[in-house]
Amino acid sequence: MATQTDTSSSAVVTGSFEGDLRRYLRGLGGLLVFLLVWWVGAMTTQPSYLVPGPLESVRAFVDLFATSTAIVVPILGSSLVLPTGLAHLAQTLFHYVPGLLLGAGCGIGLGLTMGWNGALDDWLRPLVRVLRPIPPLAWIVFAIVWFGIHHTGAAFIVFVGAFWINFYGAYGGVEGVSGELTDAASTLGVERDLSMLKLVALPSAAPQVLTGFRTSIGRCWMIVVGAELFGAPGVGYEIINASNNLAMATSVAYMFLISLAFLCMDVGFRLLERRDLAWR
Amino acid sequence: MALSSDSSTGRDSREKITIQNVSRSYESTQALADVSFSVAEGEFCCVVGPSGCGKTTLLRAIAGLDDPDGGSILVGGDPVTGPGLDRGMVFQEYALFPWRTVRGNIRFGLDRPACDCPDCEARVKELVDLVGLDGFEDAYPKELSGGMKQRVGIARALAVDPEILLMDEPFGSVDARMRDRLHGELLDIWTQTEQTVVFVTHDIDEAVTLADRVIVMDADPGTVQSTFSIDLERPRGRTARDFVDHVAQIRDELGSPVETSH
Repeated sequence: MATQTDTSSSAVVTGSFEGDLRRYLRGLGGLLVFLLVWWVGAMTTQPSYLVPGPLESVRAFVDLFATSTAIVVPILGSSLVLPTGLAHLAQTLFHYVPGLLLGAGCGIGLGLTMGWNGALDDWLRPLVRVLRPIPPLAWIVFAIVWFGIHHTGAAFIVFVGAFWINFYGAYGGVEGVSGELTDAASTLGVERDLSMLKLVALPSAAPQVLTGFRTSIGRCWMIVVGAELFGAPGVGYEIINASNNLAMATSVAYMFLISLAFLCMDVGFRLLERRDLAWR
Repeated sequence: MALSSDSSTGRDSREKITIQNVSRSYESTQALADVSFSVAEGEFCCVVGPSGCGKTTLLRAIAGLDDPDGGSILVGGDPVTGPGLDRGMVFQEYALFPWRTVRGNIRFGLDRPACDCPDCEARVKELVDLVGLDGFEDAYPKELSGGMKQRVGIARALAVDPEILLMDEPFGSVDARMRDRLHGELLDIWTQTEQTVVFVTHDIDEAVTLADRVIVMDADPGTVQSTFSIDLERPRGRTARDFVDHVAQIRDELGSPVETSH
């Protein structure tokens, strides 16, 4: 048989070096304009604590790492001394990470099962409709009475937030599995429902599951700060604590810190996605 | 259901597929009404007809992907109760697993149940050679053209060495030049493997190019209208007088101008 192939895979050049450079310069320009507006705004606003200036905020940010704070590691109970900024970030992560992972795990689990099993879907769909619209932060009252507003309570709120986003990612992903692919798999010897889930539904739903998880990383940062404004320890608590002392620059410094933490997680996860979803 | 065996289909050649009085209706349309015919072992059989004549439904029923309301389908004498590895299927829109490479797609059927790996690798290599995809083993489907995707589809179906190959307008989304080449390749493969092929198409030229026998179906309700034997030497030139005559005959039989090749 002929071995020549009808490849037409001409490399598509997406964005030349100059195009990239222009984009970066524009982005930088936007940042500079923002800094200028901020700086002028801070200069002209009285009293000065209303808008802390950029320089003052950067100084406050640096100060977060100049002093140390001792925190207690939950469960272990041992104490840990870290630069103040990192210490409070760690406190946040102590409830953010377990809440996110557990919520994502349960959400993905239920989403996959409901998307795949019609009977379970019938049973639970109305319940999901009712519970889904409740904003995660509304559960704070139960977090407080059940767990107290500490790590467990805050983790619970994060759990609720992560749960729904991941639930919908997985549910939609499994529902969207093409019938043609399952047909192809059955003609190739896939008989059991569980094998079909593993061999076809899961890989096919993976992009949506991962997108759901990535979205939940961001959403849970918003939720976790919300929970901390109610008193759970962490960066969110420090924002309100500093503002109570009118140290607004410190509040801004903690806001930076949250932004940085989120960026690192988001970029990290995107890299992981790109590696694992090369087929898309 | 008629149990008689003295039907018009002869018993001289061994019947691989026997379709007896098969009916299938959806809400408002009768896709198949009392369809009966048989396909001999090793025969290349094309089914042509206008859209809505139930030819795809029929193919899916043979594959075991669709359950007819009435009648029976026998494959090698046994009634079809579901999909099986004895019947490979090639889909119009390829239905490749996008998360698997060319190799991974071809291997899919070989891994159920998990088989001996060195053998599998050799088998995959053999199929890659057979369909002319050397050097593309690690490509993902999105990187392939339509013609190449369908070669993967064919290789994947052939991998488990089915006795019957069911093809649902497999070259419908491929451009004309590539289609001609794939016809030649498919006939080569068929000659080598001696499989029984049921090939659904709406393109009469394609049917006459490939088939030993062409089954012409009519729509609404879907029935078998007539059957043509094509006793021409392969490869068949499309300008040869006999070829043109066959095409004209089938076109007359279909009555109205059906969708012609793209």
